[in-house]
Amino acid sequence: MGVRDGYSRARRALGDRSTALAVAVVGGLLALDLLRRLFTGMVAPGQVATYLWTGLVIGLIYGLAGIGLSLTYSILSFANFAHGDHVTAGAFSGWAVAYAIAGSGAAELGSRLLVQASPGQVGASIVSTPLAILAGLLAAMVLAVALALVMDRLVYKPMRGAEGISLLIASVGVAFALRYLLAFVFGTNSRGVTASVPRYTIGGLVVNAHEITLAATALALMLGVHLLLQRTKLGKAMRAMADNEDLARVTGIPTERVIRWTWIVGGGLAGAAGYLVVLKTGTISYSFGWVLLLLIFAAVILGGIGSVYGAMAGGVIIGLTENVALVWLRGPYSDFTLPVAFGLMILILLVRPSGLFGGVTTA
Amino acid sequence: MSAGPNADSDADADPGADRATTAGAGTDTTVTGESLLAVRDLDAGYGDLQVLEDVDLDVRDGEYVTVVGPNGAGKSTVMKSVFGLTNFMGGSITFDGRDIAGRNPEEIIRYGVGYVPQNENVFAGLSVRENLEMGAYILDEVPQERLESVFDRFPILRERQGQKAGTMSGGQRQMLAMGRALMLDPQLLLLDEPSAGLAPDLVEEMFDRIDAINDSGTAVLMVEQNAKEALRRCDRGYVLVDGRNRYVDEGSALLADEEVRREFLGG
Repeated sequence: MGVRDGYSRARRALGDRSTALAVAVVGGLLALDLLRRLFTGMVAPGQVATYLWTGLVIGLIYGLAGIGLSLTYSILSFANFAHGDHVTAGAFSGWAVAYAIAGSGAAELGSRLLVQASPGQVGASIVSTPLAILAGLLAAMVLAVALALVMDRLVYKPMRGAEGISLLIASVGVAFALRYLLAFVFGTNSRGVTASVPRYTIGGLVVNAHEITLAATALALMLGVHLLLQRTKLGKAMRAMADNEDLARVTGIPTERVIRWTWIVGGGLAGAAGYLVVLKTGTISYSFGWVLLLLIFAAVILGGIGSVYGAMAGGVIIGLTENVALVWLRGPYSDFTLPVAFGLMILILLVRPSGLFGGVTTA
Repeated sequence: MSAGPNADSDADADPGADRATTAGAGTDTTVTGESLLAVRDLDAGYGDLQVLEDVDLDVRDGEYVTVVGPNGAGKSTVMKSVFGLTNFMGGSITFDGRDIAGRNPEEIIRYGVGYVPQNENVFAGLSVRENLEMGAYILDEVPQERLESVFDRFPILRERQGQKAGTMSGGQRQMLAMGRALMLDPQLLLLDEPSAGLAPDLVEEMFDRIDAINDSGTAVLMVEQNAKEALRRCDRGYVLVDGRNRYVDEGSALLADEEVRREFLGG
């Protein structure tokens, strides 16, 4: 028994190390190749900088949305498959409000509230209608919070203490219900939303005002989450509950209130992420959150599911990977960035099965 | 819950008839009137499973009481029942004159009871200081003078207040767990097997610390598997077998009792 254990442990350690070594070697070769391409002019430095910037921007979205997923996982102990549809719901409600404010007079209210008016007529952008954009962001967060609280009351609260797998399946049901409710109200067409904004070119790096808005907002919200978790009584209680729910209860922490705040924080961030991703891509459709969810999950798992900081880091890594991969995936291969991002996730999990921040309990 | 039928029949059957026979290894130690904690004819368990039957237990103000007995006797269940963590099926639990049976832990903490569970009794990912702050969660502000007095009692916690609790040794964690429970200056401290998992040389030290807590006026109800040491330290002891009271007496008297020694203390 002991010998076998020792043997398999040695094998595992060896396996870990050789995988890590292989990852390091491949990573090193790719870095060298990148340098070669830069020096031989196969790829322009500005192009690489733009890939990095775009990757960071989209990665911040994955991270922002991932925080809520991680919180629900660590505090309520289930993987919430409806999270992506909370993202969509937040986006629609936020843009409905932004359109209502931005396009007054340009298109009739009904079409604006359903985000169906043409973007050209409404002309919503951070440059032309900054107040409407900000009001929309706020509305996206508030309505996503309300939605999360309603869903908790209707679905998850009656199931409190149930197995994670039952809750997961319930959340799949919530996901479908939400998605088709959105399709019913807002329609199934994918459409443009934002007006174009000025682009700035800094030595080949192309940046636009919406990307800057997104990055600044996402970073501010992440800082807010960090301060909440580390400095406030509520945040510490959330970490405590993620750590050990039974102990939290016998310590006198009001667990139901902490759960409610978990939904508020996670829901609000999901709404913000949905609203911001539409600001960046300029289009909206009833199912985009569901598609995004796969990447959000990848980010959260890569970072170590249950860890908020892992979700942030994992999101940025996934975003950077799928964009920097474009250095090698040119022409017809540029559709294959997602497999690269997921491939990296699998590689990291082979070396660190609990994810980058897994095992260190950070809520 | 499904406790209904059981609870009813037990409540009907009793009126304290067993008490005289269960309390019995020596002098009469049945507590009357002034108990801080009074458990009477307690039936409790988990889900449908009844673990305790007609358990009586008292802790006076400032008293140090231990519960010992073989594995599976229901020692921890008694303590959990007092703290509202089991399925209450009948009898009564009063603390400081209040009926606390079936209340939830958050309320019971407010009445002045602190509880230190046996395992995983610190928040591993929180710092030492944050763990102590969580102990005072029900207050609007962290009481600085309580924090200071906990730090004075366990100086190692002051030194390590920024360290993550999960990286501390077993003995230090046990101190932190007690410190957290002391943050609200409870009238009664419930300790579930405080010596479990400690290195032998730390066990004595842990019992000394519990003595000191009790000396400063806090009543202690402790469940221990280290029965000899627990009985030597306590004011009174209860021997629990199969979820029922078997003996109750002063700790020293139980230690001296032939039957108790033979049956439960290994001669």
